[in-house]
Amino acid sequence: MPQSAASVVKTKVYASLDPVPRGKEFQVAVIVDIANGYHMNSHKPLDSYLIPTTLTPQLPAGFMLADTIYPPGKNLKFPFSPDKPLNVYTQSVTLRLRLTAGDTAALGDASIPITLRYQACNNSACLPPVKVPVTAAIKVAAADAKSKAVHPEIFAAGSSH
Amino acid sequence: MSNVKCAWVLCAVSLLVSGAVTACRSSSAKASNSASDFQPEPDVTFKGLEGADVSLASLKGKVVLVNFWATWCDPCRSEIPALISLQDKYSSKGFTMLGASMDEDGVKTVDPFIHTTRFNVGGQQRLMDYPIVLGSDAITDKFGGLLGMPTSYLISRDGKIVKKYIGVVNEQQVIKDVESQL
Repeated sequence: MPQSAASVVKTKVYASLDPVPRGKEFQVAVIVDIANGYHMNSHKPLDSYLIPTTLTPQLPAGFMLADTIYPPGKNLKFPFSPDKPLNVYTQSVTLRLRLTAGDTAALGDASIPITLRYQACNNSACLPPVKVPVTAAIKVAAADAKSKAVHPEIFAAGSSH
Repeated sequence: MSNVKCAWVLCAVSLLVSGAVTACRSSSAKASNSASDFQPEPDVTFKGLEGADVSLASLKGKVVLVNFWATWCDPCRSEIPALISLQDKYSSKGFTMLGASMDEDGVKTVDPFIHTTRFNVGGQQRLMDYPIVLGSDAITDKFGGLLGMPTSYLISRDGKIVKKYIGVVNEQQVIKDVESQL
């Protein structure tokens, strides 16, 4: 197992609106690319003892979290679990936060720190659970400011915008 | 060049080009036992589940398989029946398992686990009834660092690390290795 837990995934972070008007819901997507040959438990693994993938924002003042959207995992069998499938993410998975910048959110550039927690394995061994910090960079504008939807390739499906 | 030699040359080239260390291995665990691995066991002391110290040095004279595992690790769980069998078969001949849990919550998680979780060993539902201690990053660092679990170290009677297994052990291989040390 040549990789460290943190190096098994690469993350990219996108926001759905530019800028984000106060009072309008927007989304942040964290795209998690998982190294070839590895998998990580989905948000809802089939056994309670397994460590789920979670995405947790540390919201700046004035921001509200409506929901965290985790896609379903795939049920796959592995050499160490030939009879019982595991519900996992492989290759690439997009996790999303539905957020709102409230009336008290500071105008201008803002950073939303987010913690991605996961536990990855390959076909023979598992890496320890790890917390990876990521950051969403957005710009907050007045409630009546013009805003455009960005990255429709990411946010079109399942988006409320 | 014979076909066999040719195959090995191709395999070696494949390793150099791709860096795929696993390309020429067939077992699920990656075992190593080069001369450089025959190093003295590290000077480590585990905590037992009831708080007592368990040093590796105190086990000198026995063949020990130190197995780093965790309750959340499915590959670790999959090899536990084989490890219970090893303890059954060889404990009377100077062998002992030593399961070192790497669970973050330590005793809180591990103690109920070992008293309630049963494993199918030859048709019997068995508890994990070999010695279990608590591992730590400080301890695994002394073993050279731990990238994944399960990882196991076979230690000879005179306190040398004679084999390292990364990943699920191949039961037949580990039996052979243990017997070679008894």
